[in-house]
Amino acid sequence: MSIANRSPAPAVTRRAQARLGVALVLPVMIMVVAFFLIPLVNALYYSVVDFNGINPNPDFVGLANFERLFTDPKMAHALGNNITWIIVGTISPMVIGLLVAMLLWSVQRASVVYRVLFFLPYVLPGVAIGIVWGWIYDPVNGLLNQLLRAMGLGDLARGWLGEPDVAIYAVLVTAIWAGTGFAIVIFLSALRNVDIELVEAARIDGANSLQRLWFIVLPQIMPVFLMVLTLTLVGGFSVFDIIFIMTGGGPADATEVLGTYAYSNAFQLSDIGYGTTLALLITVLSVPVAVLLNRLQRKLSLQGTGA
Amino acid sequence: MAETTLAMTDPAARRALSDPDAGSRAPSSAGGHGKKVAGQVLRHVVLIALAVLTITPVMMVVSTTLKTPEDVRVDPFGLFTSFSFRNIVDAWTVGRFSDYLVNSILLSVPSTALVIVMSTMAGYTFARLPFRGRTALFYLVVLGLLVPFFTFMIPLYFQLRSLGLLDTLPGAVLVLTSTGISFGTFFMRAFFAELPAELEQSARVDGCSEWQIFTRIMLPLVGSGIGALTVFTFLANWNNFLVPLLYLPGGEYRPLTTGLYMFTGGRSNDVGPLAAGTLITILPVIVLFIVLQRQVTQGFISGAVKG
Repeated sequence: MSIANRSPAPAVTRRAQARLGVALVLPVMIMVVAFFLIPLVNALYYSVVDFNGINPNPDFVGLANFERLFTDPKMAHALGNNITWIIVGTISPMVIGLLVAMLLWSVQRASVVYRVLFFLPYVLPGVAIGIVWGWIYDPVNGLLNQLLRAMGLGDLARGWLGEPDVAIYAVLVTAIWAGTGFAIVIFLSALRNVDIELVEAARIDGANSLQRLWFIVLPQIMPVFLMVLTLTLVGGFSVFDIIFIMTGGGPADATEVLGTYAYSNAFQLSDIGYGTTLALLITVLSVPVAVLLNRLQRKLSLQGTGA
Repeated sequence: MAETTLAMTDPAARRALSDPDAGSRAPSSAGGHGKKVAGQVLRHVVLIALAVLTITPVMMVVSTTLKTPEDVRVDPFGLFTSFSFRNIVDAWTVGRFSDYLVNSILLSVPSTALVIVMSTMAGYTFARLPFRGRTALFYLVVLGLLVPFFTFMIPLYFQLRSLGLLDTLPGAVLVLTSTGISFGTFFMRAFFAELPAELEQSARVDGCSEWQIFTRIMLPLVGSGIGALTVFTFLANWNNFLVPLLYLPGGEYRPLTTGLYMFTGGRSNDVGPLAAGTLITILPVIVLFIVLQRQVTQGFISGAVKG
């Protein structure tokens, strides 16, 4: 850093910077206030009134919506599905992603074609993904059942999205198919940043491949690992598109999650107050997780630098 | 060790992480030459199998689209068993997918442009133009990143309705813009923050105004960031399902995503045109992704490293 950099800029410059700064930041701030802050404050208001979407002066109901929230068996069921979704839907892409990334890392001439193919599902719209996987799970003509029958496992063939016991896992497999490419590509770039000299040194010192992975490689990609974990975990609380499209929360609420339950309360049952309260629950659950994991990630990053 | 763990905080390392093609450092494996080759072949076999698994659902869309209607009725998902453009023609005309395509463009292009312009301006301010209260404003932007859209989507519906923006193109464009600016601001700020302070100072010595420093000196240097953000934002807006589902309920401005969804609800047996509609929806995404795959993956990766 130069000396000029440390000494404060002249007052004229600072004033000019402040003027331009305020002007440049204004459009974003107007948008944030109008389309985020105001509706956010309104969300808090809606959660304490009984609003049906029409009545301009809804009744104040205090904490009734919250009381209902904690005694609602459907909410508990939906939250349970969110938890299943988060556990399976986080662990699978992380593990598969890491394995495939290491495979790609270890091949010579790891062609860019692999990476493009693996990443492709991640950029596709959820509706398209839901439709195609609906075909794959089709009870009669579906690719999955045809494959099972061809392999002599016809007994396992079923209406994958129509049976309450398996529907959520069927949708999860779709989500894993769509999301793992993201983990693969991120892990691969982290692996390519790993200090190879350290790995080689450990090998010379007699560490086997599992030890090298556990003690040398994994600690180095840990911050990236945590980052992907945060994103998938937090996304798991607000999952909506893929479930709404593939099952609509059915059959018989079997795949209902907080997102679809909040949507149907607000927009199908016109119970705006309760729908908003459910949506607030999603935030209350996901924001602390995001902040906590982010802190951990920063802490790890700093430790690595010896700071 | 420091090198990689720094990836989260150090700009240079972040760049290295952001670049999927950076270096081809891979761990060398032990063993003789023959064993090495066999291992490499085996790895490629596994990777090819995974790639086929990944791409099969996309192939199904293409295959079913290009079937004759008669073949679709008998064998809807058998791969490439007949050839016809009838489904595409039907989807385009009877299925109204030509309208949906136009609407998707009318929604995605202006909202992407607005996100880019606003985020670049605000990102520059938060990186380089200090003024009193700037930190507080920045926290508001960060809050917008943390809180899921779910939390305030219901109040936003009634807000748009009272402003007369519900079911209008400008309303949906503004909401789409608002969903992207928090992230965009954060993203562009990181790019501007990496530029050396000397550039700014020497420009000032040469008599440039603050506005000229921004537009003539700094802006041309963040081209790669703007490029990545453009592709990323465009894909997010094109794929967005919830915004048109909630705020364009009338159907007049229905884009491809909700158009496709409505099509599955209304005429679930029309698999051929449905496949064609799906293809029309995903084809722009796939083409954009393949042509700009570096920018896309880079955008997604550095997007993930935002926090």
